[in-house]
Amino acid sequence: MNIKNNLSLIFGISIPILMIILVTLSIYVPQFFVKPQYDFLYLIGNNNCYTDRNNTQIYSVQNNKVVKNVQDDAVQRCTAGQIPQPKIFRYDVVANKSTEVSFDDVKNLTVDSSPKSPDGFEIIRGSNSGGFFPFYFYSGSDYNSRYINGRNVSKKLNLQQDGYNFVLLGWIK
Amino acid sequence: MATKEEVLQHIKELAKSDFIKKEEILKAFDEGARKENEDSKKLGIAEILYYIGGAIVFFGIAILVSQNWNTLNSFTRIFVTLGSSVVAYFAALLFGSKKKTENVGIAFHLVSALLMPLGLYIAFHEAGFVMTGNGIQALISFILFIVYILSLIAFGRTIFIFFSILFGTWLFFSFTGYLVGTNPIWGSDFFLYRTLATGLTYIFLGYYFSQGKRVSLSGFLYGFGILGLLGAALALGGWKPHQKILWEIAFPGLIFAVLFLSVYLKSRSFLTFGTIFLMLYITKITAEYFSGSLGWPLSLVIVGLLLIASGYLFVYIKDKYIVKAI
Repeated sequence: MNIKNNLSLIFGISIPILMIILVTLSIYVPQFFVKPQYDFLYLIGNNNCYTDRNNTQIYSVQNNKVVKNVQDDAVQRCTAGQIPQPKIFRYDVVANKSTEVSFDDVKNLTVDSSPKSPDGFEIIRGSNSGGFFPFYFYSGSDYNSRYINGRNVSKKLNLQQDGYNFVLLGWIK
Repeated sequence: MATKEEVLQHIKELAKSDFIKKEEILKAFDEGARKENEDSKKLGIAEILYYIGGAIVFFGIAILVSQNWNTLNSFTRIFVTLGSSVVAYFAALLFGSKKKTENVGIAFHLVSALLMPLGLYIAFHEAGFVMTGNGIQALISFILFIVYILSLIAFGRTIFIFFSILFGTWLFFSFTGYLVGTNPIWGSDFFLYRTLATGLTYIFLGYYFSQGKRVSLSGFLYGFGILGLLGAALALGGWKPHQKILWEIAFPGLIFAVLFLSVYLKSRSFLTFGTIFLMLYITKITAEYFSGSLGWPLSLVIVGLLLIASGYLFVYIKDKYIVKAI
């Protein structure tokens, strides 16, 4: 095969192959070099309690501590018939797994409630781009998946439950 | 006019004196042969009817299966779609083997290529596969790509190149989509980057085919390639306040490179799409940055004048460099 005469064919075939390699590398390689450091707490469920026209967050972070703003009996009333009351989870970023914890387990932890962790990561929704050839231009959010994203790394979280009602409480310092 | 012997003798003498190279003679021969080939490939009313007929056959079978979905069992569903596509494929090979029925063969290839993905979808569905997402699309497009690449190797017909490119493009989009999944790292521009890469690929392939005997493919590849490349590059620029300055600055450079290439490649597609996208870019940039400061009426006047200038540039390049050369 004469390479000089077939240079345009070689370029043409190489471009999609290189792009496939680039896409694969962009997903997996940064994960080896950049690793998030801070575990975080999150809720799954409805964190809102509507009583007397007021909306109270059942759990929130105040002065770097997780607080429970609504007592258990009131939670039963305000979440009756709605999405189940929230459960608290702790996400281990090194092991990439989450564990359900109780309020008592977390109330003494120091928590940073800002959306971005001290080492520059945030939790974002997955993207839901799809379609059928050649109409792939639909792009939206995937409400069921969550990713830890930052510093050119985007890694899917292993949530114990569907991430539709995901609420980030904060980063554990 | 000189006889064949005289011409060959003259070539021998020129070669002896190193006045002409072997590649130059071959290139001149290919160009002459190509012109003849091109003329014979012009679409007539009969060919158009063949292709429309092929498309209607596909829709007929697709509607037949969908209307009787519940009454047909798994075997019949697959037999009607995938079975028909296999029959159409072999009928196309038979028709294509004779010069007289070559175009009928192409129409049957069209029927086969339209039915085969449908048949494979139904076959995988009946086998219990989950039929959503990029994974199944990647699998089906991979099978089709392999079928047509092997057909190309075995029979060497141009139609198989066309379908290989088509299903290869589908494979590229669906497989990259499968790799990324729901990962947001590429963001909403992922489709545009893939379109850009596809456009570039088509242009390189178009150039490759323009150098050989399959020049009929280069027009379609240049057209879609340049449309994909410029369309994606323009869209990547975004819109204020979410614009990407780098793409907005690079775009005029890309346009002028395309207009320059239109002269070099003698390509009307490059010139036409280059001019259309130059006009779109002028309109976009004016609306984005100058409609607020200059006001809409004055912006429209400037846009109008620049569009007239673009139109003149189009006619000038076409008359001076492309029509004359062709």
